[in-house]
Amino acid sequence: MSGTVAHIYPELQVVFPGSEAEFPLQFGEKVEPSIVSVLKLARKQLYSSAEPSLLAQNAQVIVDFAWEKLNTGTWRDVDKEWRRVYSYGCLFKAASLCWGEASEAAGQEAIRSCDMGLLMGAAIMDNILQTVVGILHGKFRKRCPEEEDSNEGPDMKRLRTERAFAPEVGAETAVPRMQCPSLESFGSLFLAPRKPVILQGVIDHWPACKDHRWSIDYLRRTAGCRTVPVELGSRYTDEEWSQSLITVNEFIDRYITGTVEGGPVGYLAQHQLFDQIPELKEDIRIPDYCCLGEGEEDDITINAWFGPAGTVSPLHQDPQQNFLAQVVGRKYIRLYSPEDSEKLYPHQSHLLHNTSQVDVERPDVDRFPEFAKAPYQECVLEPGEVLFIPVQHWHYVRALDLSFSVSFWWS
Amino acid sequence: MIWFGFGFNAFGQIYSYASSGKESTSDEDVEVKVIAPVRLSSCCPDGEKRLQLVGASWSRTAFLQCAGDSSVCLSGFWSDPPSRKAHSCFPQSYGCWDAQVSERYLTLAFKDRTECWSLDEIDSMPVWRMKHAPENTELSDRLPLVPGGYVVSAPPFMHVLSPHLCGVSLALGMEHAVLLSASGTVYTWGSSSHGQLGHGELGREVEPRVVEGLWGMTMKGVAAGGWHSVCISGEGDLYTWGWNESGQLGLPSHTIGRGTLQGGTAAGTESDRKEVFISIQAFPALLDLPEEAEVTRVSCGSRHTAALTGAGDLFTWGWGEYGQLGHKTTQTLDQPTRVDFFADRSLRVVDVVCGPWNTFVCTEEKDSTPQIPP
Repeated sequence: MSGTVAHIYPELQVVFPGSEAEFPLQFGEKVEPSIVSVLKLARKQLYSSAEPSLLAQNAQVIVDFAWEKLNTGTWRDVDKEWRRVYSYGCLFKAASLCWGEASEAAGQEAIRSCDMGLLMGAAIMDNILQTVVGILHGKFRKRCPEEEDSNEGPDMKRLRTERAFAPEVGAETAVPRMQCPSLESFGSLFLAPRKPVILQGVIDHWPACKDHRWSIDYLRRTAGCRTVPVELGSRYTDEEWSQSLITVNEFIDRYITGTVEGGPVGYLAQHQLFDQIPELKEDIRIPDYCCLGEGEEDDITINAWFGPAGTVSPLHQDPQQNFLAQVVGRKYIRLYSPEDSEKLYPHQSHLLHNTSQVDVERPDVDRFPEFAKAPYQECVLEPGEVLFIPVQHWHYVRALDLSFSVSFWWS
Repeated sequence: MIWFGFGFNAFGQIYSYASSGKESTSDEDVEVKVIAPVRLSSCCPDGEKRLQLVGASWSRTAFLQCAGDSSVCLSGFWSDPPSRKAHSCFPQSYGCWDAQVSERYLTLAFKDRTECWSLDEIDSMPVWRMKHAPENTELSDRLPLVPGGYVVSAPPFMHVLSPHLCGVSLALGMEHAVLLSASGTVYTWGSSSHGQLGHGELGREVEPRVVEGLWGMTMKGVAAGGWHSVCISGEGDLYTWGWNESGQLGLPSHTIGRGTLQGGTAAGTESDRKEVFISIQAFPALLDLPEEAEVTRVSCGSRHTAALTGAGDLFTWGWGEYGQLGHKTTQTLDQPTRVDFFADRSLRVVDVVCGPWNTFVCTEEKDSTPQIPP
């Protein structure tokens, strides 16, 4: 399979502007003339029949230069112009890899380059990287080498039998469940008084739960070659916690189907996967209840949470309303009202002040004596259920099985 | 005194075919990665003895021509119109004694003043200038130090430093500063996003703060990379701290070990690995060179480090993608490695200046018996 090649370049050329002059390269003051000259040279090489290796080299210079800028100062403060320069570098790199007869490996690298631009760069030329990666993925997905052996690999069902310990949920602390409430009753009974509730029968119609049922195979097929950010380490408050950018296939191989004994837990967490891979977005629907909010539908942030049993999100609060839709596996969730914040010992540092210092299931009673006095609600969220977490409500989440959840943050 | 350069050369800042006599004007006719040291062609017809390389930015190299009326020559990117030039003299620099170049500005130190000139558009006036009081005419402060403070390559250019610090040498990273005082104490300030301040924390320091990990030792040299810091002790020991992303600290780097990591369980258990790889070193760490060689000079690129020993050997480590380590490869190395090129030619390395992605060294002939490389 590795010997196969594809003539992909003609398809990409259609996406690029017709001529060098029409290919925009406009940057703000911050971007120095020296790097702009490299960008212009790469553009010229893109439209001439020069050696693709020269374009590849200049593309890498642009990527390396912008990467240093992206790592200077906090991420928030990085000038958007540098993220645009990075995206251009990724685009030129992908183009150089697809020149002539593109090998399987070159195609995968081109996809990775586009994804790096989508993850770390800023949109350029009407989000051309999204278009390019769509074409590449369509061409190369059927050739994903991992896919051939995936039939022998364990599927979701088999993995689900390896269940983690599920805590006993008491009747008095259980989050109430409701079957498809009307918009009015959800609004008056839960949204307005900010009360958590588990909604049933709300996502049964999602393709992800029906004919496009999310399985390891399906995810490999739809997203296997795509690069995603993965959290390593069981919880983000740990000192050893880190992030890494790997493909979905690598993530599945290393952290889902095969794990290293004593190795870190890998969690594809809080990633806007559905913006990156529109095909997966087709499999989900924005809950109707979101229309009760004041924000536009475009303002809703949709995140994917995909990981093995045992991933933990420490007790924390978010600034928006949240629907947590459980598609695969179960999750144990503990909820505390914002009224009890002082009993939850939030971190002092600015960065973590929305996160509690308490390990919810193994609290240090000497350090955090008030914690035990805080009333809470809890649940084991089953596949097909949606948990409404009101704005500012503290929540602690532990995956009991291999799990895939989708969260909707709305206002 | 012969200067050599290696590493990033996309702008012809090390050499271009044009300067080597070959006919070529094409943009593409330049060797982007110079992986083996090349001799820098002379700046002026008088000969190269009087040529002193004083600094390099990403796209340019600055030389100080010391003979007669001293002046600065620039090689590399020229913005108006965008082109590459070899050894163009900067006319406004006559009489200056030190210079520093960045992507946008050329800073010139004269006896009576310091000036910053825009390189984007050459004007008749500097974008910034400060006059020095007559008592400061002793040429003691090497750039970026100036009387009363230091100059950075962005407005407002001048930053004040307390005279109590008695700074004698200052190195600037992407977002941090490392100062050596007359008494051999090291101060750092700025961002410690990757541990580059060496205080053990990943925060910010607005004011210069003593690096306590070096307490009790007298230092004689400091250098700063993009996100790492290096200093030399009075005994010639090397200390490094900050980001080890490409092995620039000379400590085991994850980037380099990645090949074995993917081998899965064969690479050992995860707890072993955590001990082995260092990503961020937030306190100064002693770095031994092979055979415990004594270090006399050190310079850092954005992600690599180069050190000279008393014996005149050059050691390099860190990011090598553009050939900036001089080992005739583009390999990244997380261990100090001797550059054999010079030893093989019986050349003693006497000075080293790193650009962000390249390295320049000054050499002289070893006079005594020829050495056989090990």
